[in-house]
Amino acid sequence: MKLEGTQTLPATVETVWKSINDPETLRRCTPGLKELSETGPDAYAATLTVGIAAVKGTYKGTLTLSEKQPTTHLKIILEGTGGPGFMKGEGIVDLEPQGEGTLVKWTGDVQVGGLMAGVGQRMLGGVGKMLIGQFFKCLEQHLGTDA
Amino acid sequence: MSTRYFGARVTRNEDPALLTGRGLFVDDVRLRGVAHAAVLRSPHANARLLSIDVRQARALRGVLAVYVHADLGTLGDPLPKLIPHPALVHHKTQSALAKDRVRYVGEPVAFVVAESRYIAEDACDRIAVEYDPLPAVASLEAAVGPDAPRVHDDVEGNVCAHYTQRVGDVDAAFARAPHRFRERFVIDRGAASPMETRGVAASWDAGAARLEVWDSTQAPIPIRNGLAQLLGLPEQHVRVVAPDVGGGFGPKVMMFYPEEILVPFAAMRLGRPVKWIEDRREHFVATNQEREQIHDAEIAVDGDGRILGVRTVFLHDAGAYIPYGLIVPIVASTTLPGPYRIPNYHCEFRAVFTNKTMVSPYRGAGRPQGVFVMERLLDRAARELGVDRTEIRRRNLIQPHEFPYDVGLIYQDNAPLRYDSGDYPRCLDRALELIDYAGWPARQRAARAEGRALGCGVACYVEGTGIGPYEGARVTVEPSGQVFVATGVGTQGQGHLTAFAQIAADALGVSPRRVTVHTGDTGMFGWGTGTFASRGATVAGNAVALAAAAVREKTRLVAATLLEAPPEEIELGDGDVFVRGVPARAVTLGEVARAANPLRFAMPREWEGPGLEAIRYFAPPQGAFSNGVHACVVEVDAETGALTVLRYVVVHDCGRVINPSILDGQIRGGVAQGLGGAFYEKLAYDDQAQPLSTTFMDYLLPTAAEVPPVEIGHVETPSPLNPLGIKGAGEAGVIPVIAVIAQAVEDALDPLRLHITEAPLSPNRLRQLIVEARRSP
Repeated sequence: MKLEGTQTLPATVETVWKSINDPETLRRCTPGLKELSETGPDAYAATLTVGIAAVKGTYKGTLTLSEKQPTTHLKIILEGTGGPGFMKGEGIVDLEPQGEGTLVKWTGDVQVGGLMAGVGQRMLGGVGKMLIGQFFKCLEQHLGTDA
Repeated sequence: MSTRYFGARVTRNEDPALLTGRGLFVDDVRLRGVAHAAVLRSPHANARLLSIDVRQARALRGVLAVYVHADLGTLGDPLPKLIPHPALVHHKTQSALAKDRVRYVGEPVAFVVAESRYIAEDACDRIAVEYDPLPAVASLEAAVGPDAPRVHDDVEGNVCAHYTQRVGDVDAAFARAPHRFRERFVIDRGAASPMETRGVAASWDAGAARLEVWDSTQAPIPIRNGLAQLLGLPEQHVRVVAPDVGGGFGPKVMMFYPEEILVPFAAMRLGRPVKWIEDRREHFVATNQEREQIHDAEIAVDGDGRILGVRTVFLHDAGAYIPYGLIVPIVASTTLPGPYRIPNYHCEFRAVFTNKTMVSPYRGAGRPQGVFVMERLLDRAARELGVDRTEIRRRNLIQPHEFPYDVGLIYQDNAPLRYDSGDYPRCLDRALELIDYAGWPARQRAARAEGRALGCGVACYVEGTGIGPYEGARVTVEPSGQVFVATGVGTQGQGHLTAFAQIAADALGVSPRRVTVHTGDTGMFGWGTGTFASRGATVAGNAVALAAAAVREKTRLVAATLLEAPPEEIELGDGDVFVRGVPARAVTLGEVARAANPLRFAMPREWEGPGLEAIRYFAPPQGAFSNGVHACVVEVDAETGALTVLRYVVVHDCGRVINPSILDGQIRGGVAQGLGGAFYEKLAYDDQAQPLSTTFMDYLLPTAAEVPPVEIGHVETPSPLNPLGIKGAGEAGVIPVIAVIAQAVEDALDPLRLHITEAPLSPNRLRQLIVEARRSP
């Protein structure tokens, strides 16, 4: 399932870049994130709780940041498995200055398997967009308070 | 022989218990101290299995055992290959638990036994499995495409069998034919969706070294025999009972499903009874499916529409393994010719592995696909030549004097495909009369004038039924006068407890209510193969007739002494045994049974043993061929794609009919299932072979609102192949439905020249086709 969108954030590209590379921000703003521990440079072990339709479950997996081109481009890879199956997501984030703020362009490709695919597939697009929306909203607030 | 009950609309012996909730299904079996099992299944369609950590699951309170492949010993070897075939060069079967690779979503990886199903499922969540996902083969075309991933590393191109049958000289026939029409037909996957999912319960008596298994299977005796072999037990020490089974429809004739091994294994290991009941979501991935085929097909006809030749080259989706062999594609190829004279025929298929749930016969078992191809080709030819679609069929029908008719192919039972009997033109005439085909053009015009799009469809088929190798029956009269029949076939709703009772009742002069039939319990009868291929009534029914006739002769012999009359003057009727013409000189059937089992004194040699009891077997040399015609009137809403079936007619010939009510029920249920496959039910998979329709929210079963009343006409041409003159009827209702609906929808939208080459349709898909047709010039 492919998703994409844009978001404008009220901070400079440098601030946004710092923010999305900060484990504390990720921990605070990733919806359903229960645990995040650094296992290496740009690599984390993560525990995530997500509910799609009637399928709620906890996924353990990894979060990796790669393809970093500081302040403009990075790739986020999230992999998790749990009772309801598995999920694998790749997101590419590009940052561009836009006036005082930053334009975030993102694309994502999410693959799910097992129960979540069989029961929740039809909801996946909507839920994915909602979760990403929550992430950015949190980021926006966070940037707002820091600024 | 009196035929008082054979042919009568006798109400069913099984219904009082079933309708008052007193049926006994596997989940109703109560076993003291039973433990409950759950299966951890692969969420990946294709992946290497790197490691499994079950420690946290085993540590959970209430968990009795967690088994993985390594715990199974030789029981972890690939499961038995059911039906080998020389063309099947890669006869792959799965292991009860995956060893180092999973090949479809739902493949069992671990088996948990706990004090409750809740605990067992929680424990499944605590098993940590490390997979290395591989690209998956999600469709037939992808499977045979260049650079396709492999489902099995040693099967190049994912093709496990390539098989061709030919009649006549097809190339020459096509070369000189004045008209040739070519099509590509795509038929998608469906699931049988019985009301009762699968279930297995097992109990092991270590002291007596006896195993008892309750299994919702259609083939309890082969399961018993296989379990004895796999577990190293004598067959006599294994009892398999298929109690009431809530619908089989084919997928329950598989052996073995992993759980059929794992449940008995766990019961023996733990020394406690174990039960596993499949839930509905599991059923959508863990129980076999069917129908997916892509046919490239071509028909050659002369100017009058007479068939000169037919060619089909097709791909058959086997799923991830092929335990059941090539039955479905062989049945599809051999059902395709149907009731038509086809002098030159070429059928060729490749059976192909994909990373999807396994395929084995589901009611119809390839027949709907074959009939869809043939009937659509005839529709195309009729349209192109401007010949009426029923007329083109009539011109090609095999005539009544041509039986037995040798089609020239080898059928699924490895015997020549030879139709034994039938009257195809009469069935077609009767169906056209019932649907009022003569008045159809006027009715269609009238509807169009009101702005309504009505269409009519007519499709024919021949149904291979009643194949061997054999079934048996034991008929016993007890001193109470009660008659007992035991046979090896299991029953899943076909009314065997009534149909077999009717057969025995006629022979012994009792009411069917006095006949108790036991099916599907290896402890009651241990020889047989199972209920499949519309063979129960034909093969087991004739065995019952033979055994009951033998008991009748024995009754006369014993009664002759009691009544001091020659055996040939003894008659049976109304539960009594009497001297012909002297009804007062009578004893009851029960008294004869008691006399047949003396406590002292010498027993007459000609009795050949005690009691009023006989066992007989019936082994038909080949199958008996039923046939029929379906006709329907539908209304299409071109703006929404909605379909309403206004009338549905089935004219059916299955030889002599044992019980018309049961037969009608078989046909109605089949039509309902057929309509599901024609317009509602579709198993969708994504491009990584993840199943997307694993609930009844996404997999739409037709309901009472979609299924019309079915009007049924019977034609009877008795089969010469068995004493009762019967042929099977189990699949008749489902076979031509996708074909007849496609034709009717095209007819309804005739001004649009819609061209339907796929099944199932859906409102959405039909609407797409309508929009495309409107756009094209």
